[in-house]
Amino acid sequence: MTTDNPFRAGLETERTPASCVFVIFGASGDLAKRKLFPALYNLAVSRLLPPGTSILGFATSERSDEQFRAMMREAVAQFSRRKPIDDAVWDDFASRLHYMAGKFEDPANFGRLREKLEELDRRNGTRGNRLYYLAIPPSSFRVVNDNLAAAGLVAAGNDATKYTRIIVEKPFGRDLASGDALNHDLHRVFDERQIFRIDHYLGKETVQNIVALRFGNAIFEPLWNRNHVDHIQITVAEDIGVEGRGKFYEEAGAMRDIVQNHLLQLLMVIAMEPPVAFTADEVRDEKVKVLRALKPIRGEAIDRAVVRAQYAAGSFAGKPVPGYRQEPNVNPASTVETFVGMRMEIDNWRFAGVPIYARAGKRLTKRITEISVHFKHVPHALLAQGGPVEPDVLAIRIQPDEGIGLRFVAKVPGPSMTLRPVTMDFRYGSTFGGSGPEAYERLILDAMLGDPTLFARADEVSAAWQFITPVLERWANSGVHDLPTYPAGTWGPREATDLVERDGRAWRRL
Amino acid sequence: MRLSLDAVEREIGRLWEEEARRSKAARVELLTLVALVNEPGLFDRAVNVVAQVARVQPSRTMVVVWKDGAAPTITADAALHQPPAGGAPCGDAITIEAIGAAREWLPQNIDRLILSDLPVCLWWVGDLPDFDDLFDRAVLSADLVVVNSGEMDLRDIEKLSSIAGHSRGRYALADLTWIRLRPLQELVARFFDDPGCTRCARSVDRVTIEFSPREGELDVASTQAGLLFGWMAHALSLGAGSVEWRRGPTWGEVTLGKVVARFEHRPRRDVLPGAILRVAIECGGATASPSRFEIERQDDPQVFKWSREVAGAPTPPQTLRVGEHDEAALLIRCLGRPKADPLLEASLAAATRIIRPIAPRLSVSPASR
Repeated sequence: MTTDNPFRAGLETERTPASCVFVIFGASGDLAKRKLFPALYNLAVSRLLPPGTSILGFATSERSDEQFRAMMREAVAQFSRRKPIDDAVWDDFASRLHYMAGKFEDPANFGRLREKLEELDRRNGTRGNRLYYLAIPPSSFRVVNDNLAAAGLVAAGNDATKYTRIIVEKPFGRDLASGDALNHDLHRVFDERQIFRIDHYLGKETVQNIVALRFGNAIFEPLWNRNHVDHIQITVAEDIGVEGRGKFYEEAGAMRDIVQNHLLQLLMVIAMEPPVAFTADEVRDEKVKVLRALKPIRGEAIDRAVVRAQYAAGSFAGKPVPGYRQEPNVNPASTVETFVGMRMEIDNWRFAGVPIYARAGKRLTKRITEISVHFKHVPHALLAQGGPVEPDVLAIRIQPDEGIGLRFVAKVPGPSMTLRPVTMDFRYGSTFGGSGPEAYERLILDAMLGDPTLFARADEVSAAWQFITPVLERWANSGVHDLPTYPAGTWGPREATDLVERDGRAWRRL
Repeated sequence: MRLSLDAVEREIGRLWEEEARRSKAARVELLTLVALVNEPGLFDRAVNVVAQVARVQPSRTMVVVWKDGAAPTITADAALHQPPAGGAPCGDAITIEAIGAAREWLPQNIDRLILSDLPVCLWWVGDLPDFDDLFDRAVLSADLVVVNSGEMDLRDIEKLSSIAGHSRGRYALADLTWIRLRPLQELVARFFDDPGCTRCARSVDRVTIEFSPREGELDVASTQAGLLFGWMAHALSLGAGSVEWRRGPTWGEVTLGKVVARFEHRPRRDVLPGAILRVAIECGGATASPSRFEIERQDDPQVFKWSREVAGAPTPPQTLRVGEHDEAALLIRCLGRPKADPLLEASLAAATRIIRPIAPRLSVSPASR
């Protein structure tokens, strides 16, 4: 909150959010239990939850406030990064938790919701401030939206002291048309400044540190262009399979689940121009320009530039695991991709001609998210005894073992000029110690503060779909009955290797 | 194994080479942390604290102590900081001992062991003497000078204010007790965050600060309480005019314009000497709707109850945990932001103006005692 509070001047926390009622639709779901309530509890432990703030869970099952509190205590105990639960803080936090049961489709429930919110306002001084969180399937977004509006629960305000905001979880649609339709639905009720589309990757400290690395150091930015960068690789690899979420994954696939959002977010942060200021609109303006500059992949070019595949039976951690089609709730003839490999290009002054290779998938060799910037070979192989000199690589590890590594060559001690690649490693964990806040903690606090810098804007989502949708359409119309496969526990299909090797390059060994 | 100072770098290099062969550990160091231990009895404590700091902020640490003795010598020990759960070492652990007149040689010998191109933090362990040439010379190499006003007398606030003033941007001053106060400052500030309550900050009438005194405490306020009120006075722009004190054996009351601040002893064994137990602020006493704000330490010494009574702004009280801040944790927080803290400097200056009538600095005005 921007205030005239004289005691705030010079303190670490110069802005604090105004108290609100935080309403979670889908409060008994997996996301709420695993992420939202642990994040809110951790904010309470850190004394960052504003006084008077209460949390109202809204879901379909009948239960009392007490039952809801007990359920959330169990969830927090299991999933919070802080263990064990601090009883003194929990008791205070639990007293702010409330629950309401009802179907989202019934407008009468939203009348009851309004009464409940007004009662909480009177008791806690939250003065009509609302933060809605849609932790529900996208198919329910519209009805919740409309019922909120019809019940008079969406005020126009969005300043530091008086606000109604909504946080929306991905997927933000299934393609360009549905993504735009979702934006349209949201805009019928909320102003864009009130909408916070959450992509938890942006809440990760390491992703924010890409900005610090690029724009807080003078040495990298002069090299960050087509004159010095040979190519960029982005890997978002998971070693697990669909883990009981077969039904969800059948609707999504790797392209919608990872590439359209997390992977393109990483691409935007790594490739954007320096914003004029680190403020929401300036940052997001630069990010969306990257998407708009992506060279469209259309028609037959899709078959050359994009690879899709499914994992087949293989092994994980020394144990056999089933293939995708054998997973529960998965169609045995499914053509949903669990792996995507892509070759992209950014048609702008900085990166024209620099290929960006991206891969994302499930049941790969290991869980790792990394961006690597591969620099060009030295112009003249002056010291190339015993083969070409390896080019330098700057690798930014998002997870796990967050950090930055720089590979360069050094002379091997001895009489001959033999060069060998060596790595300079920086690990956040060992350098700064301890664990920072979880992405959801940061993002929920930012939404309370009304700072959308780390949230996706409507035009960003739309531009991402614009790039991806032709690929999805071609796949949908391809009539293919079987996708290429890769054994679970490997780095993906042969076609993904070919995608890079065709250009005389190779995936970085991770 | 005691080493001569010129053997220290060689020994550290040898230890890292050995470690690299064993575990391929990478050497990461963020700073040099020099702990100048004013009393030999505090040496072990300092060694323990810097070891904890190095686990979070990998660093070269030098714990320096001096003892009386005839033959002036300086010797050292060198080792690597090892994390308790194993894994890569997290810095160089050097201890230095000066005997007799060799204390005078310490600053230049510390300089030669400072890591190039990285910040230098000087932590003065223990009470700060009124005049100490070693301190004055050692700070010349430092980017950050850390003291702990909690180990000092109330009158030393003026000394710290003068050190901050004399640094002239060459180094930043940090105070572990000030860092310890930060959560309380946050709790005080949150009283007035709500727009319905912000106006109350302009009509503060009375502030009460209760603290646990040191054994045999003669001052009416601990340095922590004095510093907290110095910060409040700075925030509210108080104290430019007259400062009038009344005092009893375990309390003191100061009037600054229309604001009265009362400090009270409330002995409690389970908190550190000087710790704040309760802060109460009363506002708008002359109006029809006075307001009241209070933070009170609970039976669990790390838990505070926060409450606010303002007409038209109902707020349920909150129970908040203010983490256990041991010396290492406070030092780590200082090192996280090794920059000058204008708020500390302004608060020291405000506290100095308020406290001077009851606790004048010995070295400045001994006659006024």
